[in-house]
Amino acid sequence: MPYEVKEEKGKDGRKVFLIQKENFLELMTDLRKQGYDHLSLITAVDFRDRIELVYHLQKSESNFELLTVRTVTYDSTIDSVSSIWESANWDEREQYDMMGVVFKGHPNLKRILLPEGWVGYPLRKDYDLSKNQYVNMDDEGNDRVSFDPGDGW
Amino acid sequence: MGPQHPSTHGVLRLKLLLDGETVKNVEPVIGYLHRNAEKICELDYYCDSLIYFDRMDYVAAMNMEIGYLEAAEKLLAIEPPERVKWIRVVMAELNRLASHLVWAGAFGLDLGMLTPFFYFFEEREKILNLFTEICGSRQETNYMSIGGVYQDFNDKIIFKIKQFLKQFPKKMEEAYSLFIKNDIFISRTKGIGILEPEVALSYGVTGPMLRASGVPYDVRKDAPYLVYDKLNFDVPISRGKDVLARCIVRFEEMRQSVKILNQALDKIPDGPYFNPKAKKSLMIRLRGEGDVYARTESPKGEFGVHLVGDGTVKPYRLHVRSPAFKNLSILPYLSRDVLIADMVAISGSIDLVFGEVDR
Amino acid sequence: MKTGDAGFITTTLENVLEWGRSNSIWPFTFGLACCAIEMMATQASRLDISRFGSEVFRNSPRQSDLMIVSGTVTKKMAPRLKRLYDEMPYPKYVIAMGVCVIQGGPYNQGYSVVMGVDRVVPVDVYVPGCPPTPEALTHGIMLLQDKIRKREGK
Ligand code: SF4
Repeated sequence: MPYEVKEEKGKDGRKVFLIQKENFLELMTDLRKQGYDHLSLITAVDFRDRIELVYHLQKSESNFELLTVRTVTYDSTIDSVSSIWESANWDEREQYDMMGVVFKGHPNLKRILLPEGWVGYPLRKDYDLSKNQYVNMDDEGNDRVSFDPGDGW
Repeated sequence: MGPQHPSTHGVLRLKLLLDGETVKNVEPVIGYLHRNAEKICELDYYCDSLIYFDRMDYVAAMNMEIGYLEAAEKLLAIEPPERVKWIRVVMAELNRLASHLVWAGAFGLDLGMLTPFFYFFEEREKILNLFTEICGSRQETNYMSIGGVYQDFNDKIIFKIKQFLKQFPKKMEEAYSLFIKNDIFISRTKGIGILEPEVALSYGVTGPMLRASGVPYDVRKDAPYLVYDKLNFDVPISRGKDVLARCIVRFEEMRQSVKILNQALDKIPDGPYFNPKAKKSLMIRLRGEGDVYARTESPKGEFGVHLVGDGTVKPYRLHVRSPAFKNLSILPYLSRDVLIADMVAISGSIDLVFGEVDR
Repeated sequence: MKTGDAGFITTTLENVLEWGRSNSIWPFTFGLACCAIEMMATQASRLDISRFGSEVFRNSPRQSDLMIVSGTVTKKMAPRLKRLYDEMPYPKYVIAMGVCVIQGGPYNQGYSVVMGVDRVVPVDVYVPGCPPTPEALTHGIMLLQDKIRKREGK
């Protein structure tokens, strides 16, 4: 194999693959070929200096056994897997919305839960909860976000 | 369309591209109920997160609690006693019934049938009365806690649940026949919204949606938690792949739940109802380190909780795999080139609960 | 034929209108979250709310005069809620159902929830609880009826 995978056991007995960010897409393509056809969840964990991305995959042939793939990014970018699994599309948008991870090659990377124009990524550890943002709507139904309490709610 | 969708009890806005009455493209706009639960969980103790889980899938609070506790108890290394596990199964299945009943009522409304709604809510009301008796609250029960449950079962409760189970199947079949014997219902659901299994898997669809496409994936069977491996039940699947199949699968699941309940109620062993390591006074001192992922079967599908602890008394990161979120992402695919009325039926068959989609 | 000693109730047109109004509130169900389920339960068989004159739950703001806001109002939702409120014909009343709608409830510390719907639209009756029981909502509607009869609700 052209890349290296470190295998370990998770705390709850899961199989975990650790992989370098550079070889990430190749591994994922391989895993899809090996029959992991169900991408269950994409998670990002913010460790202040780095963001860890966790992918939970399942194989439908063998009772949906679980495999976790972990990788670390220091510049909040990673290759998108939405061309491999459709479900990654919304998952990646969610992680972009909440964590600010930029998925390279994603067809439609924009906010999904928060209104367009929101400042900051709320699930990051350095997000400032004391600064309120207010949302209003223009006539076409587009959201407008501002820090001004008089404009919006 | 929306954000107030007329017939769902949630807030979904659909951007439609129409050609006459035919839908060309749909873009669901979600996030109208985004309540930052994941962030708030990070600010509170481990035991406090439960109340936000109650309010995620608000019609199946017990299943959500179990989902979180499966993860939290693994992380904090607190094993619930045997009795608790059985009690949890009973509560989960009761709530699964309640959740499917709400779905059936709302689905009936989607298709313009008002009568089933009253039937189903009447039955649900009975379940909620049981909940009130056991946990003191109707819907957002907050019944379980880390390492145990809030109150023990007694014989009276068990008797009452049994009584409920005796009359429930008959009532359910009655209401079921309102659906299935109705020609209009059949013609509006049969052959609509066909979902092939490969597509479903690729989109991450789980739960009754996936099973109606013929994939027998049920976490209770495939990766048993609690005591589901000691219970005898079947996983209903259908090869119909359409809206009707989803409806039939959900009703069959209710029958299976009744079966599970009947077995479990007889088998509840004696013992303590909480783990002494997680007494009330010790609860806020629980610490955990590492990360865990736990999946459970909620009425909507695979409910996963990814929990990361950093050795303090608060969770470091918590992420929820919400089945309804994934199931909704299939809507644009399913409603390409269908009539608007059919699209309403399709979105009704997904069983959306927006507290969970948006969290 | 004798007339005049029976069958007269002296009243003003206003009072008749008020009486009619209070006994035929048409709520507009603004169901947003968990509380919406309890609101549906209020309509359902156990506590049939139409006994109190709130016969028809409408999904359109233009045909109703009471808005029951049940469920968390997020910042993304608030402008839409305001717009729907503006579409309702006068006289209009608002019931805030659930602590979320009253002051943010459990989500009080967060970033995306409006701390009380009364910042967006004026509220006539608050029904606390998380979620309030159907009985509580029924009580809230009766309070509103009282209020309309006493003409405070304008
Ligand atoms: S008040 Fe409670 S039950 Fe009602 S919407 Fe808020 S969290 Fe849900």
